[in-house]
Amino acid sequence: MSAGERRRCAVTGIGVVAPNGTGTEPFWKATREGISVLDRVTREGCGQLPLKVAGEVRDFDPGGLVEERFLVQTDRFTHFAMAAADLALEDAGLVPDDDRSPFAVGVVTAAGSGGGEFGQRELQHLWGQGPRHVGPYQSIAWFYAASTGQVSIRGGFKGPCGVVASDEAGGLDALAHAARTLARGTDAVVVGAAEAPLAPYSIVCQLGYEDLSLVPDPDRAYRPFTSRACGFVPAEGGAMLVVEEERTARERGAEVRAVIAGHGATFTGASRWAESRAGLARAIEVALAEAECAPEEIDVVFADALGVPAADRAEALALADALGGHAARTPVTAPKTGTGRAYCGAPVLDTAAAVLSLEHGVVPPTPNVVDVCHDLDVVTGWARPAELRTALVLSRGLMGSNAALVLRRADGSPS
Amino acid sequence: MTDRLTFDQLSALMKSAAGVTVDPKQMAARPDVPFAELGLDSLGLLGIVGELENRFAHPMPEDAERCRSPRDFLDLVNTASPTGA
Repeated sequence: MSAGERRRCAVTGIGVVAPNGTGTEPFWKATREGISVLDRVTREGCGQLPLKVAGEVRDFDPGGLVEERFLVQTDRFTHFAMAAADLALEDAGLVPDDDRSPFAVGVVTAAGSGGGEFGQRELQHLWGQGPRHVGPYQSIAWFYAASTGQVSIRGGFKGPCGVVASDEAGGLDALAHAARTLARGTDAVVVGAAEAPLAPYSIVCQLGYEDLSLVPDPDRAYRPFTSRACGFVPAEGGAMLVVEEERTARERGAEVRAVIAGHGATFTGASRWAESRAGLARAIEVALAEAECAPEEIDVVFADALGVPAADRAEALALADALGGHAARTPVTAPKTGTGRAYCGAPVLDTAAAVLSLEHGVVPPTPNVVDVCHDLDVVTGWARPAELRTALVLSRGLMGSNAALVLRRADGSPS
Repeated sequence: MTDRLTFDQLSALMKSAAGVTVDPKQMAARPDVPFAELGLDSLGLLGIVGELENRFAHPMPEDAERCRSPRDFLDLVNTASPTGA
């Protein structure tokens, strides 16, 4: 297939529900200014748990954004996804249109844990009152696929739909799945991930992760790439994007904000951080090859930045393996140190931040991080202006998935 | 008091079990409008049946969760189920 015939994946809409802001504008402002919103866990029933710091989404009013029947029938993670999808569709100007086939728009999400809060409530009914007191919506609300299903039903999107359950890196894998869906002929896909893992049952599930930071000081709990790295802080929220076949998008007058040019994914096993070096390097090489991108073209890296020393070392080495001498010269950022890691939502938020960085010519800083102890140019303190054409977004999951995504500025791609 | 289920009660159950708001007067005036058109899906009706079974401590008729409209549902539940027993 010649380049002229290629169906490229254009990002035309961004919808964010993040601890540092609902909506792209507040999110970008906080991200660019490097404001950390990590704070004490305040959710009901979590006070006695050893996890003290997280990234909570606090300025989110589900009743104002999601219809009552969806509030009753779905979990908080789906409320986030619906609200983010609305914002992304509005941003893309992809409004309901009787002339557009409902089969032209699909939905893809990634999920790491499903609807834990809803599930906990119904399980309490089960053990507290008996099986006859478990509501039927339990059957769909806590399930990984809930957000894809409900976003597609709510929006009337009957195109190809899917759910990626591939660990935290699934957020990037979902974007790649959407790009393949466009390549096969669908016009647009609403794609992304949002998670709501800050409820008692969900937090208890995470306490088994040795990589979880239990440090009670919000400024010290999540400091990847430093000698004080002590694990990661979890978060809720995420982002949904509208991606469209580039030509179709341009024909309908949409603004193409960036192009998803390449993706690679590998698997190297749970908590085997030393092995993730080779896996992540391979994912980067595959993504660069698909994007027809030389290592020297990467202008900024949005790092996975787990905050576990062995994982940070593996990531730094993977970048050196895949980008060669260019790795140490490329600005690296991890805005998620100011919000926490929203599991599958985290790399989609990073993708949203990367698109905004390309648009604004600014690399946002890495909050709470100083004195980097790896051979990386981590942007700390303040945002750094830069001519940015191509961004690399990295993600790894605690269970061993690694993924890389190459994003090009809309006008920065070779034709 | 009789235990006949009323449109008011059905409306309240639709709201609590499925988050669906329907004016009971309108439902009474047009009882054949299907549940699906009112926004209540099959899981929602199943939840209402479960709630009634818990409330009255006996099973509803087997086909109750397959009723398509408020009229069908009330007719079935109220004729088949002398709930005061």
